[in-house]
Amino acid sequence: MEITKIDYKNVLYPPGGILLWIIIFLELITFGAVLIAMVFSGNQEPEIFHESRLLLNVTYGTINTVFLLTSGFFMAITVHELKLNNKQRAQGYLLLTMFFGVLFLVLKSVEYYTKLNAGLDMGYNTFFTFYWMLTLFHVIHVIVGLVILTSVYFGIKKENPTTKMEDVEASAAFWHMCDLIWLLLFPVIYLIF
Amino acid sequence: MNKQNVITWILLLLLTVIAGLVSSEYLSYGIPLILVLAVLKFIGVAFNFMELKKANVFWRILIIGFLVVFCGLILIIKI
Repeated sequence: MEITKIDYKNVLYPPGGILLWIIIFLELITFGAVLIAMVFSGNQEPEIFHESRLLLNVTYGTINTVFLLTSGFFMAITVHELKLNNKQRAQGYLLLTMFFGVLFLVLKSVEYYTKLNAGLDMGYNTFFTFYWMLTLFHVIHVIVGLVILTSVYFGIKKENPTTKMEDVEASAAFWHMCDLIWLLLFPVIYLIF
Repeated sequence: MNKQNVITWILLLLLTVIAGLVSSEYLSYGIPLILVLAVLKFIGVAFNFMELKKANVFWRILIIGFLVVFCGLILIIKI
C-alpha cells in the first residue's frame, strides 16, 4: 500500500483530508441546528416531550452507543495497523469495524419495529417527528459508511492495492463522523427531556 | 494494538454507562452533567480516534468552538 508522509500540522492537511473535514463540519452544524430546534420545541411542549422521551428505550440507545464507539475503536486500530503495514491484521479489524456497524443497524431496526408497532410513527407528535427525522438521517449515514468501508476492505485486500492510505484515512474520518453525530443525538433525544 | 486507543475506548464506554445511569436519576444538575459527559466522549473520538490532536490548532479550535456553541445554546434554551 502506498503510504505518503503527510504533515498534519499544515492547516490544509488535517487527518482524513480537508474536504472531508469541511463535510464533517457541515454535517455537525446541520444536525446541531436541528437538535437545537428540537430542544426549543421541547420548551414549548415540555410535558409531551418528557412523556415521549420516556417511551424511548434508553438501554437500546446505550447499547447502540457502545456498538458505535467499539466500531470506531476498531476503525482507529485498522488505520494504525495499516500505517505499520500489517495488512492482514488491518483487514481483520476492518471486518470487526463493519460487524459492530451492522449490529448498530440491527438494534436500530428492532427499535424502529417496536416503535412502529406501538403506533409511534413520525406523525405521532412533534417529539417523534424529530426522533424519526434525526435518527433515520443518521442511519442513512451509517449505511453509506458501511458501503465505503466495504469498498476499502476489498481495496486493501488486493495483492497490489490501489487504495491509498489517504483514502483509508478519509473513509475512517467519515465513519468516525457517524460516531460524532450519534454522540450528539443520543443525549438530546434519549436523555435530557 | 495502540495502547492509547484502548484506554480511550474503555473511558468512552465508562462515560456512556455513567450517562445512562445519570439520566435515570432526577438530578437538578442532570442536564449539564449529561452534556459534559457527551462533550468528553465527542472529544475522545475526535482527538484520539480521528487523530485531531495531530492536526493544526485551527481544526482543534473549530471543533471545540462548535461544542461550546452547541452545548451553550442547549443550556440557554433548557435552563
